[in-house]
This record gives sequence, structure tokens and C-alpha cells, in this order.
Amino acid sequence: MEFTREIYWNVGHGAWTLVPMYLLAAIAIGLLVRGFLQRVTVYKQGLPLNRTDQLGRRIGLMLENMLLQKKVTRVPWPGLLHGLFFWGFALLFIGTTLIVIQADFTDLLFNIKFLKGTFYKLFSIVLDLAGLVCIVMLGGLLVRRYFFAPEGLETKKDDAIMHGLMLTILVTGFIIEGARMAVTELGTPLAMWSPGGLVVAKVLVGIGIGKGGLLLLHKLTWWFHLLLVMGFFIIIPLTKFRHIFTTSSNYLFSDLGPKGKLVNLDLENEASETFGATTIKEMTWKDIFDADACTLCKRCQDRCPAFATGKPLSPMKVINQLGEVAFTNPEANLIEIIGKDVLWSCTTCRACQEICPAAIEHVGKIIELRRSMVLMEGEFPGEEVMTAMEATEVNGNPLGIGYAERGDWAEGLGIKPLADDAEVDVLFFVGCYGSFDKRNIAVAKSFVKLCQAAGVKIGILGKEEKCCGEPMRKMGNEYLYQSLAVENIEQIKAYGVKKIVTTCPHCYNTLAKDYRDLGLEIPVEIYTVFLEQLIATGKLKIDTADLSCTYHDSCYLGRHNDIYEAGRNLIAAAGGKLVEMDKNRDEAFCCSAGGGRILAEEKIGERINIKRVKMAAETGASTLISNCPFCLTMFEDGVKGAGVEERLRPKDIAEVLAERIH
Amino acid sequence: MKILLIAESREGKLLGGTYELAAFAAKMNAESVMFLVGDDTVLPKYAGKLYLADGKAAGEYNPDVHKQLVLDVIAKENPDMVALCHSSYGWDLAPRIAYALKAAQISEVVGVVDGVPVVPVCNSKLRRDVKAKTVKSVVTLQAGAFGLADEPSGTPEVEKIAVAGAGRVQFTGYEQAAAGGVDLGKAQVIVSAGRGIGKPENVAMIAALAKALGGEYGASRPVVDSEWVEHNRQVGTTGQTVTPKLYIACGISGAIQHLAGMKKSEFIVAINTDRDAPIGDVADVLVVADLKQFVPLFTEKIQSL
Amino acid sequence: MKILVCIKQVPDMESKFKIDAGGTWYAKTDLAWRMNEYDEYAVEQAVQLKEQVKDADLTVLCIGSDQVKETMKKALAMGCDRGAHIADSNASGKEPFEIAGIIAEYAKDKNFDLIFTGMQSQDRGSGQVGVLVAEMLGLPSVSTVVHFAYTGGTVQVKRELEGGIKACVTVQAPVVITCQLGMNTPRYPTLPNIMKAKKKELLTIPVADLLKVAARQETAKMYFPEKKGGGLVLEGDIAELADKLIKILKEKTAVLA
Repeated sequence: MEFTREIYWNVGHGAWTLVPMYLLAAIAIGLLVRGFLQRVTVYKQGLPLNRTDQLGRRIGLMLENMLLQKKVTRVPWPGLLHGLFFWGFALLFIGTTLIVIQADFTDLLFNIKFLKGTFYKLFSIVLDLAGLVCIVMLGGLLVRRYFFAPEGLETKKDDAIMHGLMLTILVTGFIIEGARMAVTELGTPLAMWSPGGLVVAKVLVGIGIGKGGLLLLHKLTWWFHLLLVMGFFIIIPLTKFRHIFTTSSNYLFSDLGPKGKLVNLDLENEASETFGATTIKEMTWKDIFDADACTLCKRCQDRCPAFATGKPLSPMKVINQLGEVAFTNPEANLIEIIGKDVLWSCTTCRACQEICPAAIEHVGKIIELRRSMVLMEGEFPGEEVMTAMEATEVNGNPLGIGYAERGDWAEGLGIKPLADDAEVDVLFFVGCYGSFDKRNIAVAKSFVKLCQAAGVKIGILGKEEKCCGEPMRKMGNEYLYQSLAVENIEQIKAYGVKKIVTTCPHCYNTLAKDYRDLGLEIPVEIYTVFLEQLIATGKLKIDTADLSCTYHDSCYLGRHNDIYEAGRNLIAAAGGKLVEMDKNRDEAFCCSAGGGRILAEEKIGERINIKRVKMAAETGASTLISNCPFCLTMFEDGVKGAGVEERLRPKDIAEVLAERIH
Repeated sequence: MKILLIAESREGKLLGGTYELAAFAAKMNAESVMFLVGDDTVLPKYAGKLYLADGKAAGEYNPDVHKQLVLDVIAKENPDMVALCHSSYGWDLAPRIAYALKAAQISEVVGVVDGVPVVPVCNSKLRRDVKAKTVKSVVTLQAGAFGLADEPSGTPEVEKIAVAGAGRVQFTGYEQAAAGGVDLGKAQVIVSAGRGIGKPENVAMIAALAKALGGEYGASRPVVDSEWVEHNRQVGTTGQTVTPKLYIACGISGAIQHLAGMKKSEFIVAINTDRDAPIGDVADVLVVADLKQFVPLFTEKIQSL
Repeated sequence: MKILVCIKQVPDMESKFKIDAGGTWYAKTDLAWRMNEYDEYAVEQAVQLKEQVKDADLTVLCIGSDQVKETMKKALAMGCDRGAHIADSNASGKEPFEIAGIIAEYAKDKNFDLIFTGMQSQDRGSGQVGVLVAEMLGLPSVSTVVHFAYTGGTVQVKRELEGGIKACVTVQAPVVITCQLGMNTPRYPTLPNIMKAKKKELLTIPVADLLKVAARQETAKMYFPEKKGGGLVLEGDIAELADKLIKILKEKTAVLA
């Protein structure tokens, strides 16, 4: 026998079937398109932003993430369920499309049938299994959502509609198949190629439905199934189903980097009257689109250090509030709706953005709103932040220490300011904490020692160095950031510096990325990478000595710059025995000081730094190694707050190495 | 040399600065007379002539009237110098008198060296010797700078002077300091607790010392983070920046945020077991001791002064 | 309504001070400059008053070299309408009476309804200028003000006294008010206002045109005070330590006096 089946079996292939079916399909697809076009007009309320350059790369990125479900499966269980469902669903969609192509085009017009023979067997089993997989996965997701809902998972009407509709479509599909098989395939060798359908067929026969009943059941269910699918098309733009299109296209519109670099505000533009964003119309179309790409998976919220410590910020909520405003109340004041405390709570740690399976960009939006508060209203999270801003304006550092003392820490170390000797291999950009804070001066000194041991001649800017402007920029004070940056760049250029190394990830991120927009072009390196190379090339020799330690990935080396291994390699070179914290690398928990929060009092909720220190203490290691002056400062306070100062010592990796110079 | 001393009283109480004026006159080996707006109940112990203007008639704050009263006394006594406290009363009245007398005014005198007044500059970071170019001069004296010469004694020879005129400024009453609220920014003395105090129960010990010194207690961030002390007492850049006359840091090692928030204090004492702690860099005096023993004893001694 | 606010540019008190060659003032090198803190409150209060009465013209006045224009720009960005820069390359050498004389000479025929100054400057700290200006202009003045309210020509203020007590005072404009710390929360200038400030009128007047009075005092010498405790480290028996500390506090601070 020929392995195939009659398409439109029982329902007929005449005008009575095709006309209503295609009419329905046309209406459904028309409504689907209309639904999205309506949404596009909402996106267009936003400012323009070019996200269609490098199209090849963008398409690659989209396909990679859509087809491989790369980001989705980063969270194992729900990720796997979704991933397999996606694949099953995709196969069912392809299969159905093949049927339509054969029945209504190739066969109808050219008498060509391809759903036959071995291909049909394969087609049959693949679709049958795909359907089964879909049901199982969907069932799993449904049970998770409705019976074992993890904390924070929001379930709305949309979810009920989506789960119900999908499940009914899948089940009716099997009933159609079973009814058809009960009449045409039972007892034939073809039946085993549809195991799912076979079971349904046997059940239908088993419960005693006769041929007439089966035919009626088949026909009715077929039309019902068709109506459900058409309904599905119609509600895609109206429900979270839209993520099928929006989330995948959000990969197409991804920020291609440099990672996390903020948009440089044009402060010279005399025509602009507003800075930052207060209303949705001052944000970009992508900011609105992001909200439509969100599936409320709450992975961002799960990783947000502010949310985890009882602060009012949920990145997911912020994104959805933006969307809601764009669709329902576009004139509204976003800052009032979202709430100032919410916006000030962000440490810009990027955990939300890094995990987001929908490629949503959270941090930039928060900064944009902060910019409006600072630049348009002169508002800060507290007076202490305003004081720090003013101190920076006057003395070039947020601590308010006299600028002329900035280079004092280096006295007697054999390194000079470039003003005295500009012939150096690298400029060590020390940063405010390395220059003024006794604890971090020890780190700066260790780094100098390491460079000297490796025969690298370094110089500093001394009193000519100013804060890089990072905390100010992240707090929204673009004006102060740019004035600091311009002055630093001018100094650096004036001395003909060839290369810059910093021991501060915040300085590093700022100099290496943000300063590019303002004309700094020379290479900038972070000390962990720099030291790793010195050791690799044999210039720096380190002895090994026992050290029980855990390692904290600072947000600005880790998630913002993907530098995870350099620090670990240095620990290995020093003979350290590293016990990782549960939250490490791109899942590392913030120290609380990013996003300019180093300048602010943490008034709400639990202390983030204490929480992180407790995680470090749980490893049982006796040293908490960090690579960032802000982290070190927070941990020095944190070990006291957590009451573990006796058994856990925070240390910078440079200090560990400097103790072990050969 | 003859100095007219402008004493102060408020709400039926003589203010302490009055005796410092007398000490100043003694230090200058000068003859002195005193002027006071008040009444018989607040007369200072002072062996000299006291011109007393009725406080009810003159009003406790009435610069126009007080100025005229002082000028009347000056017309009678013809002093070489008028001395006031460098207080809200003194620094308000002094320039008015100086202007009327066409005299130099030297503010916030902290000492006199070879007859030349010394004044602080830039938050006491620097000092300046100031010479008047006029025959008469008006000075205001920094609180505490001249101490109380000896135990004040004597009964003044009181001459009441009549109050005339009303003045352009109308004083309508006092508003007392709000009770309960802590404003470390205004405290003259702050005793702060760091993690070195060991346990929350020891906050009481720090508070007791602060009270004995007439000040407030504060805390470093870790102590506040541990919720041993409420938020509004946190000293540091992420809390309050303070500049008291005396800051005593107990068991505070000195994280940069803390240092930046208190290093402008006029005098800093650190009590710490670690003599290399960063707090030592900004402290005027570092007491190397276990604060749990030292603080209670020190408090006791202060109380018995 | 016409309002004048007088400000001074001072070094940041965190700066590393050195004595200048003349030995009578601090050297100008390695200093970071800013608006005198007390004057920030004065500017804020003046701007708030302007915003309250709407129809007002607010002039900010500052005496000094061209460098002070930077500080004046901050006042303009905070909301002052125009600047009067009294160009004087030796402003730091002028004593309070001369400074007050210059301001009074500038203000005498301009009919200001309100004049705000800081209660004192952070560097010289004489606390005289505001009150002297009032005396010279024949206006009433209230010093050390921490609360200010204006209604139809009547000014109600609170003076800060020792011990947290405040004296409530009423006075009719025109009047001079000297502002104490904590009077308000000086605003952080917004970016649009910083931009606008660049275009506001900033008139420069040579000091010679306004200086009509002679100095009444002079600085003989400037120097660093003896180190208070000088980073003294006390160790030993705690009872002795306590006595030593009490002795030091008595000598070096006014707290135990």
C-alpha cells in the first residue's frame, strides 16, 4: 500500500470546506496583522533609534536565540519545558504548512504530492511525537504555574487563555487524528507511525463509537480545531502570545554593544530643552517595544539585588509599567508612576539584562529616567548624594577631599605624576578610592609593587586626575560626568599616554567604553587582565602559598565586560584554593555600590553588602577576594555588619599577589 | 585700658559667656564695666559697675534699642574697647556698635598675643593676628577661648539705664528646640560608636558618654546596618556629615565614608585597640585602649567634674 | 521687587592651605574654589522669594578676580537674574568694613527691597559684612536667620540661637538678612538653567568705582595654629588615660571649659 493519507479526508476538499476555511484564515491573519500594526503605532510614539544596522549579524543573533532557545534554557526546568514546547510547536506548524502546501497548491495546481512513502512515515511520526511532546511540556508548565508557582510568578487571565487554548488545540488535534485513524488506519502498518493517534483511535473504538459517530466526531472536531487555530492567530497580538513575534524580533533589535554603554547625551545642543526622559515620548521606540517582548518570566526580578533585599525595584515591573503607559496613558509622568525610590534603587548590576530571555534592556531606561530627575529637577536620592556631587564639582572626587592631595598616597613609592615624568609604559588611572581611601590605597600600592616587580614603568596623573565620573553618570548626572571626562581626556592626551591600566572596574568601564564617545582612543586595560599577561609572559613571577578563598565577580568586570577568568587565573597562580559562591560569574550578586549607589545611603530594606558577605561566609573560605574598590569597601563594612569579621577577610586580588612576589 | 563688657541674658537666665568676658578683661589687665539687658534676678557675680537696662522694656532681641543703650553707656564711660561674646547676640550687635563708633571690629578672638588679638581663619585651620587701625575697637570672643578666670565673685554696682525708642525689628518670642529629633549636624559634641563596641547593649555606654559631655551619640554605617543604632544617627558620607567641636570615635576603624563625614570636626578623639586604624590619621588624640573599660570610667570622671 | 544677594568665592575647606609670600593670607595655589556655604543658603532663599512674588529682579553680587565668575554662574544657574561682578584682584586683602562699603556703595541708589548675605564667610569668618551693609544703608538687619517668610512687605524670620532655640522676629522690608546654615535646601542647578545662566547679564564694575571707605584693621600675620593634639597617641593604664584625656580636652577644646 502507498504510505500516505487523504488530506481533507471526511471534511471534503470542495468549496464548502475551502471557502469558509480560507475566508476564516484571511480574516484571522488580517486581524493578526491589524493587531500588530496598531501596536506599531504605539511603538512609534517613542524617539527614533537605529537598530537595523549590521542586519546579517542581527538576523544571526535572532535565529540563534530563537531556534536554539539559548537564553530561555539558561534556567533549566522551565527553560527546558519551554524549549521543547517551542520545538514541538514549530514542527507542528511546519507540518501543517506542508499539508496546506500540498493540498491547496502543489496537488491542486500541479498534481504533485510529496506527503507519501517514507517521507510521509517520517512526517507522520515526527508530527505525532511533536504533538505529544507539546502536550507534556505544556502540561508541565501548567502544573508549575498553577500548582507549584514559584514565588513572584504573576499569573493573569492571559496565562489561562494561553494554556487553555494551546492545550485544546493539541488535544483536538489528536482527537481528529485518532478519529481518522480509527476509520482508515487501524490494523494497517501505517498506524504505528502515529503512536499518539493510534492510542486515541483505540480508545475511541474501545469506548464503542461506531463509524458514523467517528466520522461525525472527526468532522466536528476538525472544524472546532480550525476555529481554535484561527482564534489563536487573532489573539496573538492581544495576549502574551505576541512574544512569539516580539521576543524573537527583540533579538533582531538587540544592542550590539559595546555592552552596556550608555547613550551619550548631546549637552552642546542648544535646541534641546529636555534631558533624559519623563514621558514615554522621550524614550525610544525600543523602550516601548521591550515591554511587548517581556513574557513576565520574572528571571530579572529573581536576580535583582535590590528586589532581593526588600527594595521596591522590580526590573520586570518597570518594563511593564513603561509598556502600560505607552499603551494606555502616553502623556503620563513615568517617574511618578514608577516611583522615585524604585528608580534610585538600581545598582546597574546588569543581572536583569544578562539573564533576560527576551533581550530587554533594563538599565538604560532607568538611567534615562534618572537623568531627567537630576538634570531637569536637580533631584537626588538623598542630600548625601547632592553633597557628593558638589564635592566632585569642587574637588574632583565624591569624598570631598582636597584635590591637591590626590597623588599623596604614591609618595615614596618611586612613581611620579606624569607632570614630572611622562615617559612611562602605562598610565595607572588610580580612581578616587585608590587615591584617598586608606584601605584601597593599600590595593593601589600592591599594584604598584607588582608592576615594579615586573619591570613595568608606570606613572599617575596625581592631582591632575579627577573622578572618572562613573557614579555621577549612573546617578543620572550626565553633565558632571561629561565635564569630568573631558578634563581627564585632555590630561591623558596632553601627556601622549600609550596605554592605561586601572584597578577599578568602574573607571575601566568608563574609560574603555564611555570615554570613546568623547574622544579617548588609547587602549585601556583592567589590572586583572594586565597582571595575568605579565605572569603569562614570565615578566611577573608569583610564588604559590596556601589560601582558602572565594571570589566575587564585580558587576563591572563580570556582566558589564565579560571578564570572569582573569581573576580566577590569578588566584590559581597565587596557589589559592577557590571555593565558588553559589552565585558566581554572570549570576554574581551585587555588592550594593554600583549605579552610583556608593554615594547614597541604603535606606530601604536589608543591606545588599551584608547579604553578599553572608554568601561568601557560607563557602567556609577565610578570604573574600574582590577586584573592585567599591566592592572591597562594601565588604569591609559587610563583614562587620554580618558579624563574620573574625573569620572572613576581604582582600583585593592585587594584595594577594603582592604578598607572593617571587 | 578700659573695656566695656556686653553681658547676655535670655529668658531670665544669665548666659555663661558673661563670665568669659570678665576673664578676658582680667587677661588684658584692663579696667572693665559691664552692660546687661535683663533684670535684677540675673545679675552676674561681678566686682564692678554694671549698667542694667530693663529686659522687658528693651526686648531680648532688639538690635536698634540695644545698640543705642550701649552707645549711651559708651558716651558715659568712654571705653577703649567693647567686648562681646561671639554668639548669636554678640555677632549681631557688635558690627552695629563698631559702625556707630567708627571702630574696627575684630571677630571671634581666640587669644591675645602681645596685645594683638588672634582670630581663626578657614575653620580654625589657620590663625591671623589682627591689628585695629582705629583708636577704639570692638571684639567678639570665641566661646571657651578665655575660660573663666577664677571662680566669679563679687556683687556688681548696678546703675539702671532708661530704655527709649522702639526699634525697627520686632521680637515676637522664642521657639524651643524640637524634642526627640536628633540633629547631629547641630551637636557640639558627638560620641560615635563603631563595630568595636562589640554588641548592641554597649550603645548605652556610648550614649551615656555623649550625655555627660552634653552632646549626641552617632554611629558608623556597620553599626547602623546591624540596626544597633537608628539611621538618623549615622555619621558619614552616606549618613550625615558633621562638624562638632569635639568628635569621639569609639571602636571605629575609619572607613573612608566615615572619615569624610567627620574629619572636619574641630577636635577628634579616637578610642581604639588598633593603633594603626585609619581613624588615627585624622584623630588629634588616639587613645589605645579597650573602649568597654575605658568609656565607662571616662564617663564617670567627666560626670564628677 | 528688587532683591540683592551677595556671595563670596572661598576655597574649599578641605584644601591644603599654605601661607602666601606676604605672610598675611593663604596662598592661592592648589586650592579648589566654591561658593561660600552660607551664601548658598542666601541664594536659595533669594530665589525662593523671587519665585514666590513672581515679579522680582534678583541680582547676585560678588567681589573678586575673574575667577569668581564661575561661582557667580552657579548662582545664576540657581535662579538669579543678573550678576554684578565687582572686579578686584585683591579682594582677599580687603577687610569686612571695606567689603561692606563696596556693597553699600553699589546698592545705595538701587532701592533693593531685600538684601541677602551669608551669615559669615568660611575663610575670613568675621560675620560682619551683612550687618555693616545694613548700617551703612540705614536699613534694619537680622542676622543668623534659619527661617524666612515674606508676605506683602512684612518679613518674618527665625534667628538661630545657641542650644537650638530660635528667636522669632518680624521686620518690614527693605531689610538685610544674613543666612545661617540649614535655612533651606540649596537647589542643585538643572541643566537647562545652567545653559540659560551662560547667557544672563554679568556686568563687571571696577572696584575702584565703589571703594569709598578705608580699612579699619589689618592682618599682621597669618600662620598655622599649634597642632591641637598633634596626632597624639595615648597608651597605658586606663585610669591615667582618662585623666590625661580630660586634661587635653580642657586645654584644647571649649567643651569641658
